[in-house]
Order: sequence, then structure tokens, then C-alpha cells
Amino acid sequence: MRKFVCSIINSGLSLGILWSLPLAGRAGDLPDEIQVHGFLAQSLFHTSDNNLFGQSDDGISLGITEIGLNSSYKPSNRLSFAIQGLYRRAGNIDRGSVRVDYGLADLTLWEYTSGRLGLRGGRVKVPLGLYNETRDVAFTHPTILLPQGNYFERSRSLLTSGDGGQFYAEQHTGYGDFNFKFNYVVPLGNNQEIRSIQLGPFARGEFEAQPTVVTQLSYELNGGEYVFAVSYADLQLDYHPLAGDRFGPGTSFVRPLMLSAQYNGEKLTLTGEYNYRRNVVKGYGILPNSRFTTESWYVEGSYRFLPNWQVTVRYDTIYANTDNRNGMGFERIGLPNHAAYAQDWTFGLRWDINRSWMVRGEYHRVHGTMWLPQADNPDRLHTTQEDWDLFGVQISFRF
Amino acid sequence: MRLRKPIIRKLITSAIVGVCLGLCPVVAGAAEIIVNASVPSAHYSRADTRAIFAMHLRIWPNGEPIKVFTLTDDDPVHKDFVKNSLDMFPHQFRRAWDRMIYSGTGIAPVQLDSEREMIEKVTNTPNAIGYVSKKPDSNAQIRLFDYQ
Repeated sequence: MRKFVCSIINSGLSLGILWSLPLAGRAGDLPDEIQVHGFLAQSLFHTSDNNLFGQSDDGISLGITEIGLNSSYKPSNRLSFAIQGLYRRAGNIDRGSVRVDYGLADLTLWEYTSGRLGLRGGRVKVPLGLYNETRDVAFTHPTILLPQGNYFERSRSLLTSGDGGQFYAEQHTGYGDFNFKFNYVVPLGNNQEIRSIQLGPFARGEFEAQPTVVTQLSYELNGGEYVFAVSYADLQLDYHPLAGDRFGPGTSFVRPLMLSAQYNGEKLTLTGEYNYRRNVVKGYGILPNSRFTTESWYVEGSYRFLPNWQVTVRYDTIYANTDNRNGMGFERIGLPNHAAYAQDWTFGLRWDINRSWMVRGEYHRVHGTMWLPQADNPDRLHTTQEDWDLFGVQISFRF
Repeated sequence: MRLRKPIIRKLITSAIVGVCLGLCPVVAGAAEIIVNASVPSAHYSRADTRAIFAMHLRIWPNGEPIKVFTLTDDDPVHKDFVKNSLDMFPHQFRRAWDRMIYSGTGIAPVQLDSEREMIEKVTNTPNAIGYVSKKPDSNAQIRLFDYQ
């Protein structure tokens, strides 16, 4: 309880400081070549069963705290620099850490009046689906939790940003804008949640991600009224077991292909994304070598019924293995059958108070536990429930 | 003769626009796009104009960097401009800018608090583009931006 109160006080102080923060990104305070922006979000969760980002079952968890500060500097037409620091806390998955979210140099190789080609090098964001690059920025998506079947919180670190480079090409035409990105990066992720997703709770070793290709082609019509995107990633994770580990030094290949579509009208926004993920696991010894498909998709509708109010309804579904939708045999690796899937109905309400502040709340009715964090539910086989409710509220600030 | 035709057409168009502006000073969707006098005249489409304000199109035909100024998202003139001049919605621009600001892939336009400030900035910044609710007083450093 003391910890909870302390955290509330800390969050309150942070919000207070931000409330009085001058809007440094506004004109007049800085030269036009330098921009500074930032954001803060604090959420609270309560669940009927199962824990999410702390002790949310029969209580209130402090959910996720996200604080980001970024700056960009453009010394010349062809060269720019950008960096963003991110503080993040998410229940027992991440008890609070600061890191460089991106830090890059952007060199325009060729620019003409209707497009450009260029390279970004350093730590770059990973373009996967409509939201991955700005997934930690509350204002950029309609609900507190992104559809978890497509944007796992528990394994986010694997594909949030990576060290390496990005080639990009943009072309603007009278019949729409094309945007292509090709990343070759070493993912930063190496955490216990990824190990748990791959091998269950008994594994003790470490995963190491190999350099990865992530690429995306998007097409926008009428300034973003219609958005279409295809994204693909090819991940290789090598497992280094500890002495006495029940798993051998195996390798997992994860290859998501994501199709995205969005309509942005004056009041109505409709979004759908489909993720077809090929998986190959081999060399783990106790697990048979296998190839299987993880499939997820969601459809979402948002309606702005008043200028600053938006209501959202979403259905999101995922199956870990389309050949074993019921999770037969999952108990062998310490997981309940319902960890093989999750279907989530979400109802959300968002209020943009002014240009800097936003609050929102949402309710989820979830069937299945696939995206529940292992860290918040150490004994998933015995303590998690198949059908559960989730309530969340969030306050967010930006400048 | 071939040279004079476009000039005559331009004169007629200007006359019609001038009469309209004189007769109906308050027209819904009458936001005017203004540019600094240094901006080259060229054939700009509405798609170009959208891409300029979305910060996707970054240079003028002469290779100079485009400097974009906007009013704040909730300013009635901004809403009117986005909706009636560009046939878009403010949240579409906000989405485009946020994706760049928070992923390190671009910058947002400089947001200003008033039309007075807008005129001042576009007047004094080479290669600048912005908009105001009505045609500003004659000023050698500013002209209206033509697009089709």
C-alpha cells in the first residue's frame, strides 16, 4: 500500500511539473531548426482475475508509466538528427527504466519536389503495422492498450527499436503517397517475457536476437483518409541455455507478415490489421522441431461524437498456433490451455481536454490469456482464469 | 499572341477573384494560403499543398527548404483551412505530424498563436508558407499561393 501511495505521489508530482512546463515546442522559444517535444502517460488497471502490470486482480495496479522527451535538430537541408529518451514502468515486466528510444542521423541522399530517398542510422524505430513506431505515445492511438494480439506489451522490447540502419523512399503523386522503409537492425529485446512466450516459464537461459530485416510499404490516399500498409519482419532468436536447463541451444524464427488498412473520416475512423506469423522452432531438445503459424487480427471503429470526444469499439483475436487452437499439451511447458489464444472485446472512451491533456477509460472482456505477462502471473497454470474483465483509465500530457 | 492568352486569362481570373473578395468579404471556407515573396511561382496541385502542410513535401521547385507555419489544432481558422481549403480534417494532420515527431523521422510545422503572428512570420521568413482567414493588407513580402 505504501508503495502504491508513493507511486501515486510521484506520478502526481511529475504531472504537476509538466502542468507548469513551458511549451518549449512552440514558436519563439527555440530556433526553427530545433524542436523539442515530450509526453507523459499514467494508467491504472483493475481486473476481475489475472494480473496485468502489477497486482490488478482484486486491486488497482499502477499500470504503465511512460515519459518521453525528444529533440530534433536540422543543421542543413540534407542532414538532421533526432533523439528520444524514454522512461517506462510496466508492472513486474519493467520496474522502471530509462533508455534511448531512438537516436539517429538522417541523411537525405536524393530529394526532388515529389519525393526523396535517404538513410537513417543509429537506433531507429521499427515500422511494423500502423502503430508500432509510436506505440509508447498515448496520443497516437485511440485506446490505452493497443490490440494485444498484434502489439504484445509483453514482448514489445523485441521490436520497438533496434540498432542499425533504415533505408527510406517517399513518393508523392496526385493519386496518393507511397512510403517505403527497409530496416536492418539488431533488436534490443532480450527479456524474460520473450523467453516465456517461446519456451514457457521453466526455461532459464537467455535469448539473443540476431540482426533482423523489417520492412514496410505504405500507401495513403487523400492525405491519410485511406491508409494501407504491408509490413514484414524476419526475426531470429538464438537460445543460450544455462547448465541444467531442460531446453537445448535451439533457435526460433519468427516471421510476421502484417496487412493494415484504415479509413479516417471526419467523425469515423475504421481500422483493421491482420498478422500472419510463421514460426520455426528447432534444436530445443525437449520440444520437437516444428513449424507453425500464429494468426491474429482486429477490427476497430472509433467515432468522434463531439469534437473532443471519441468512442471506440474493437474486437481483437489471436491464436498462438493455428494447428492447435485449444492449447492441447500446453501444460507440459507449464501453461494452461487458454494461454494458446485470446479474444478481446474492447470499449473505450477518450476525451481530449485541450491540445496538451487527454484522459480516457476502457473496458475489456477477454476470453483467453495468451498475452498476459508471465512476470505478473508467475504461476499461470494454476492462478489464471480463462474469462476475465479489465478496466483501465489513463491521463496523458504532451507538448 | 500565344504569349498574351494566359495573361488575359489571369487578368480575368484576378478581376473575378477581386470582385468576389470585395463583394463578399466573409465567405465560409475563405482561408487564404499565403507565401513569402521568395517562393517560386509554379503549378501546384491540391495534393502538393496537402503534402506541404503534412510536412511530407519538403522543398520548393527551386530546391529551397519549405518553412511551414500553422495555427494551433483547435484554432477555428486552422479547422476552416484544413477542412475547406484542403478537404481534410485536423486529426489527419495531427496523425501525420505525430508519427514523425515521435519516431524521429521528421518535424512538425511551427505552430503560431495568432494570425497577426502568422503574417509577421510569413513576411519575414524566406520560403515560408502559412494561411490566414482573409487576404492580408498589401505587403510586398507576401503573396497569395495559387494551387489547383
